[in-house]
Amino acid sequence: MSLLEVCNASYDYGPKKVFADIGFQINKGEIFCIVGPNGCGKTTLLDCVGGLHKLKQGTVLLNGQNMTRLKPPDVARQIAYVPQGHTKTFPYTVLDIVLMGRTARIDLFSSPSDEDVDSAEQALKLVGLAAFKDRPYTQLSGGESQLVMIARALAQEAPVMVMDEPTAHLDFKHELEVLETVVQLVKEQGLAVIMATHFPNHAFYFENNRLPTAVALMADAAFLAVGAPNDVLNEENLRTLYKIDTRVLTHQIADFGEIRQVIALRTLENKKRE
Amino acid sequence: MSKVKIKTGMLLIILPLIVIFIALFMGRYPLPIPLVAEILWAKLTLGASGVPLKYETIVWDIRLPRAILGALVGASLAVSGAAFQGLFRNPLVSSGILGVSAGSGFGAALAIVLFNSTAHIYLFAFCFGGIAVLLSIMVGSIYNTTPTIMLVLGGVIISSVFSALLSFLKYVADPYNQLPTIVFWLMGSMASVRYQDITIAGLPMVIGLAGLFAVRWRLNVLSMGDKEALSLGINTKLNKGLIIFCATLATAGAVCVSGIIGWVGLIIPHIARMLVGNDNRLVIPTSMSLGACFLTFVDTLGRTITGSEIPLGILTALVGGPFFVYLLKKTKGKGW
Repeated sequence: MSLLEVCNASYDYGPKKVFADIGFQINKGEIFCIVGPNGCGKTTLLDCVGGLHKLKQGTVLLNGQNMTRLKPPDVARQIAYVPQGHTKTFPYTVLDIVLMGRTARIDLFSSPSDEDVDSAEQALKLVGLAAFKDRPYTQLSGGESQLVMIARALAQEAPVMVMDEPTAHLDFKHELEVLETVVQLVKEQGLAVIMATHFPNHAFYFENNRLPTAVALMADAAFLAVGAPNDVLNEENLRTLYKIDTRVLTHQIADFGEIRQVIALRTLENKKRE
Repeated sequence: MSKVKIKTGMLLIILPLIVIFIALFMGRYPLPIPLVAEILWAKLTLGASGVPLKYETIVWDIRLPRAILGALVGASLAVSGAAFQGLFRNPLVSSGILGVSAGSGFGAALAIVLFNSTAHIYLFAFCFGGIAVLLSIMVGSIYNTTPTIMLVLGGVIISSVFSALLSFLKYVADPYNQLPTIVFWLMGSMASVRYQDITIAGLPMVIGLAGLFAVRWRLNVLSMGDKEALSLGINTKLNKGLIIFCATLATAGAVCVSGIIGWVGLIIPHIARMLVGNDNRLVIPTSMSLGACFLTFVDTLGRTITGSEIPLGILTALVGGPFFVYLLKKTKGKGW
């Protein structure tokens, strides 16, 4: 029995089909990346996996249990969700934000206990922001905010973490920082991470770090291919998926071993024009 | 519980009590503090005070119920405003956003035109306040993809409908008798308050206040937006419903005895945030305490400075506005 299993999942907005008959599974200490063009339904799929939307057909099994039978706090204890964009309204302190990760473990009429505060501080330490706990989170940079959101998800102490484009809008370094944090969490905490991303290189990054990684290429309401990045992210598949020419390169780098990356060369439209 | 927490809690409870006590000896008929203390002591110990009955009546039967109700009304309006601001993730929202005030105003005017008895005014104001909120929720749930914005929009629409109906009632009301009553009611006053008003209107207010106090931490989570709150494990429909119910109960209870008092439900929560930050665990109790102090104080002022009472709705803004600006300057908008 896997930690999380999605079977025959379908979703539509009325007549508009978003995805149909999709299935995958994930276990402790694994990463599952979903790659695909804008509007292919990645976010909707993640919302369904995270219990925010109900699948029109199919099931999400959490430890073999059908998710539709679980109440919101039961789901939240098993799946933590890191949203794509977060609108900040009130300038809560960083610790207050991370404490919200404890919601599923706090009764309706209660407030967080000292243990909850401890776990929130622990989560902040894991993402390297322990010193930020009393800062208003509205004053943080994009990268720091994203790490706070990850810390909040960590405070949920759920075995599965769902991340929707966690590196969107981040600069070169902060992107790497988030990826490093994810690698560390999967390696050390045994987290299972499901992540939507626009960058095939993210999947390679995890594989390069020797994590058990699977990647799904999503297009036209279905998975075009699923498998290890090395097998799936090839030039042919990427041409079908994005209509671009690419080259997958392998380097030997001291201290890092074999590193694989894909570079984009040109769009097919441009090729025709030439 | 740390010591700071206990101290803050004590302060928040004691502050309104002090203001209520001040309200007992201030007025057009000032009484010396020892006399007031003697009356209170005698009443609380059920003994005879030896103070002339006239003074006893002023303190115990006229000023005390009014001060207590003022504190309840202020706390209710302020805390509903704070709750709605968090729930709707919008700092410009006040306790009347879902139409309670407009609905109550219409209800009161209707009762004045039809019956002109206090009991009917209470009942109608309270019920129409609730009806207005229900209608707003119904309008808000027609189009369900962005529930929060639609709910606010529903509130705005229903409020404007009830305002229009109120204008119509003013137009048809007897201009010598009923119209002034409606206008004065709308300006807000607690001049006619007695103990029985506390028992009638106090119940919904106390239930609402207690409910909002109990779920105060959840407000933080709900202010993250529906989607995130759900992903954090909150049954958003149930929790939002509970908060709207409590806030409506408190506000309708307040409005039906005091009339429309603006300002408190919008600005007191902001003052609370300037003082204690944004965590609703603190904002809610602080809003309650400050709201209670502020309204009791303003009401006392309103019946002290001139012979005929100045309506509350006028004074809250006149007194509160400058105070808000002063605080803004002093704290440099801390928390914002």
